[in-house]
Amino acid sequence: MTVRNAAAALPRLEVTALSKTYGSGASAKCVIEDLTFTVNTGEVVCIVGPSGVGKTTLLKCLAGLQPVTSGAAAIDGRKIDGPPAEMALVFQDYSRSLMPWLTVRKNIRLPLRHLRLPAAELNQRIDTALEAVGLTHAANQYPWQLSGGMQQRVAIARALAYRPEILIMDEPFASVDAQTRFELEDLCLKIRDDFGMTILVVTHDIDEAVYLSDRVVVLGAKPARVLDVVGIDLPAPRDQISSRALKEFADQRTNVLSMIRKPA
Amino acid sequence: MKTQIKPAAVGALGIAGALLLWQFVATGPMNGSALPTPGHAIAELAALLTTGTFWANLADTILIALGGLAISAVAGVAAGLLIGSFGPVRYATMAVLEFLKPIPPIVVLPLVVLVLGPTAQMSWVLVVIGCALPIVMQTVAGVHDTDPVARDTARSYGMGHAEILLRVTLPGAMPFIGTAMRVAAPAALVVAVVAGLLGGGPGLGQSIYQAQAAGDFPVLYALVLVLGLLGLVFQGATRLAERRLLHWHESYREVVL
Amino acid sequence: MKRKALNWSLGIATPVLLVAAWWAASANSMNTFFPPLSAIMIRFRQLWLFDHFGSDILLSLRNLLLGYAVATVAGVVIGFVTALVPVARWALDPVIHFLRGIPPVALVPIFISLIGFGIEMRVASIALAALFPTLIATVDGIRSVDTTLKDVSSVYRLTRGEKLAQVYLPAAGPQIASGMQVSLQVAFIVMIASEMLGSSEGIGAMTLLAQQSFMIPDMWAGILLLGVIGFGANLVFELLKNRILAWHAGSRRLANS
Repeated sequence: MTVRNAAAALPRLEVTALSKTYGSGASAKCVIEDLTFTVNTGEVVCIVGPSGVGKTTLLKCLAGLQPVTSGAAAIDGRKIDGPPAEMALVFQDYSRSLMPWLTVRKNIRLPLRHLRLPAAELNQRIDTALEAVGLTHAANQYPWQLSGGMQQRVAIARALAYRPEILIMDEPFASVDAQTRFELEDLCLKIRDDFGMTILVVTHDIDEAVYLSDRVVVLGAKPARVLDVVGIDLPAPRDQISSRALKEFADQRTNVLSMIRKPA
Repeated sequence: MKTQIKPAAVGALGIAGALLLWQFVATGPMNGSALPTPGHAIAELAALLTTGTFWANLADTILIALGGLAISAVAGVAAGLLIGSFGPVRYATMAVLEFLKPIPPIVVLPLVVLVLGPTAQMSWVLVVIGCALPIVMQTVAGVHDTDPVARDTARSYGMGHAEILLRVTLPGAMPFIGTAMRVAAPAALVVAVVAGLLGGGPGLGQSIYQAQAAGDFPVLYALVLVLGLLGLVFQGATRLAERRLLHWHESYREVVL
Repeated sequence: MKRKALNWSLGIATPVLLVAAWWAASANSMNTFFPPLSAIMIRFRQLWLFDHFGSDILLSLRNLLLGYAVATVAGVVIGFVTALVPVARWALDPVIHFLRGIPPVALVPIFISLIGFGIEMRVASIALAALFPTLIATVDGIRSVDTTLKDVSSVYRLTRGEKLAQVYLPAAGPQIASGMQVSLQVAFIVMIASEMLGSSEGIGAMTLLAQQSFMIPDMWAGILLLGVIGFGANLVFELLKNRILAWHAGSRRLANS
């Protein structure tokens, strides 16, 4: 039974007392209140919580798409003040996040243009990314010609080719069928293993969170607060059949679920 | 509320800025040319409003536009309903209409003026030519789009063909017809003015032609201002009418045009 | 499958049959206004192929294309600025919506008063009239770009130039194309109007001149040529549009299936 080496627990992303309030004065709506947690290098961390608690808002703040009201998120100690260069985001609504006028290959290429890479490296990154998600055969098709699961894989490939150090995913597998979901979850773990990425996944699926994560951040109540950060001590490498059959899996699952279900 | 005042205020500033620019150009670089100052044009406009002929011409233009639009709507919808109900007829007719659609009434203006002379009749004919076509085509598209389930339900209740047409097909085609009307209404005004300006028909179009021919430039600009305002009124009225009639269906909008 | 073939043949045959019917019906016509189609076709060939081809057809088309090009480029550029700079939008919106309501043809006398009857007047009238549909469509298109696409551009830190050219422009493409198609029709109308009002050259001018001189077959030849050009220009536009926006047609087809 291997546990992720504690020595490798270098904090990569630090969230400190993060708060987000929309509007001002009487109509102010506090969505997130005082969130604090850390994501270490090479970890997979899942954020779970009840529906509508503000998980997407949190991601938008982390990705620099929205300003925080107070507190801070920092990468390697540098405060996030706009979209960080080391970060990529995979959106929940994959069909709307892909450019319909570009082929799969060109979609993946779009974020790489301004990196000014030599042509050989550019193409190699795209090819590697396509291979990693298993879409080499679809490179010249348009996103709308592909199934939902394949579209999400294109979005993941796009993030991959960008070579971020931190990958954030917003309920990435929510709208795909169960079978595809298992494949994509394993893909997620494979990316972490192959590329050494730090991955943060927002999900409402507790089973998925337990399966994927090294640690799970449990959010609760509106406005969102951190209820707990649970370490998942399941053995690596994870396997859809054997890992999910372990008693520890069920225990962790129950643990997290009861935390969420508990009346605030 | 605060966020609504700012754009409106900047908008007002924009209009003021445009008027100032006009004033500057009229008194500066283009001093002495045909371009009157805004003040002069507006004064001319005010003077026009006191003349009987202006109001007569305005009434003529509006009557021709609205009248032609009404005829186009009635005839167009009726024709569209009939044409759309019979497959072969639809294909045959739509082929011809697709040829004619990109051809504006101004192309046949010389012919119509020749046959009917510079009369109100000529203007009406041109407006109908310009407006009926899109209305027919959109009505046909609307009929084609009728929910077959609705139609079959009506038939199973023993409704006759004509009744189905009027009570099921027509309401279902209303969004399409609404879109056509939204496009046809301003077009009606434009064609009415064209008929006057180029064909000599009664109305503001002819007034503009006469003003320009006589070198009466302040009047010319005043009349163009009037037309701009009239255009705004038409646009606003159309939008209002569409919302009233189609409030139950406004989100549903398919445009064949 | 058989039904489809029948519909297709109806679509192609009907216009042909109608022309044939016109030919036959007018063959022995003594009516001044509706001479035999054969006589019209003779004059058509004599006038346009290739006697007045260079002097009049190319002239008209050149003005049309020049005015249209200026209008569409300016429309897209100003549209971008208006859509993306809130202050600009707030300031320009009222002015734009007022100006666009003026019947395009009414702009011709304005330009005649300012710059006379020359080619500049014609191109300027065409350009200003055709500006507005493209401008307004560009603003609408850019304002309705999916926020998710905008977020993707931000997350992946696309440069401003990349955002505008690689994301906003293609995303708004379908709407801009619709606006450009309307602009083409407006340009065509104003091309004809500007020639009829103030020129001795060009297809529109020749057609009107023929009508005034009672050279009826010549007038018809002009009308037919204008009809062909109007239809042809629109057809070329549609073909180009379908080519460039093939992705849009494909994605909508799938969305609706």
